Amino acid sequence: MAITTEELAGGITKVVLDGRLDIENSPAVDSQMKAIADGGNSVLVDMSKVSFLGSMGLRALVGPALVIRGRGGKMVLFGPNELVSKVLKISGIDNMIPVHQELTSAMAALQ
Amino acid sequence: MTGRETDQPEPNPPGAMLSLQTRLSEITRLPVWIGELAVRHSIPREIEFAINVCLEEAVSNVIRHGYGEGEIGEVTVHFTQPEKKFFEFTVEDEARRFNPLDSPAPDSQAPLRVGGQGVHFLRHFATQLEYSVTPTGNRLRMVFSGENSGT
Repeated sequence: MAITTEELAGGITKVVLDGRLDIENSPAVDSQMKAIADGGNSVLVDMSKVSFLGSMGLRALVGPALVIRGRGGKMVLFGPNELVSKVLKISGIDNMIPVHQELTSAMAALQ
Repeated sequence: MTGRETDQPEPNPPGAMLSLQTRLSEITRLPVWIGELAVRHSIPREIEFAINVCLEEAVSNVIRHGYGEGEIGEVTVHFTQPEKKFFEFTVEDEARRFNPLDSPAPDSQAPLRVGGQGVHFLRHFATQLEYSVTPTGNRLRMVFSGENSGT
């Protein structure tokens, strides 16, 4: 899985995940996401290129989100496909990490 | 009449079993195998996704909980297609007894925590789940239905 980051206006860190967020990739993503979480209070995770999300992959999202929230910051998810959205909904994670389908609303949620 | 009806699934198609060593790195072979089955048996995309979620969970459970640290064993996954729109996977191991279906469902009112979602996913994504003890280990049967997928 590829991870790229980009600094946007307003102090937002955009993280683009590309590939399968599965048991194989989860540890590396978790590690990189935690490093990103340590450095940013407004994190937008672009999920539009995530083709698979399993229960182990969820850990790579929840852990950093808890760190950011504990510091008073916010993390939002953007653009998951229909199947990945289903995993987020079933897990209840969408109650903790807001999920947006529009980039503008995702960014607005971080302002 | 000779030969098979064209709309009947093969009961024991070739390549319908995958054997994995009990190392987490072996799980990377699952999506490749599932992808091949999906092509061969016209498994709908959303069912293929559900199979991936459940098999990753079931096999990783066996490796993480069924076997001890450093203990090497084998997990086998069998595939059959009992009816055209039903896809059945059976995970068998020789590990200590471990019924993943005994795990409680996560408390929807509790604060979200890392982990604990696996069995919840199995119950949601599989149409049918059945655990049994074998003379040498455990068997978890999972059935996925494509009946509502428009295929």
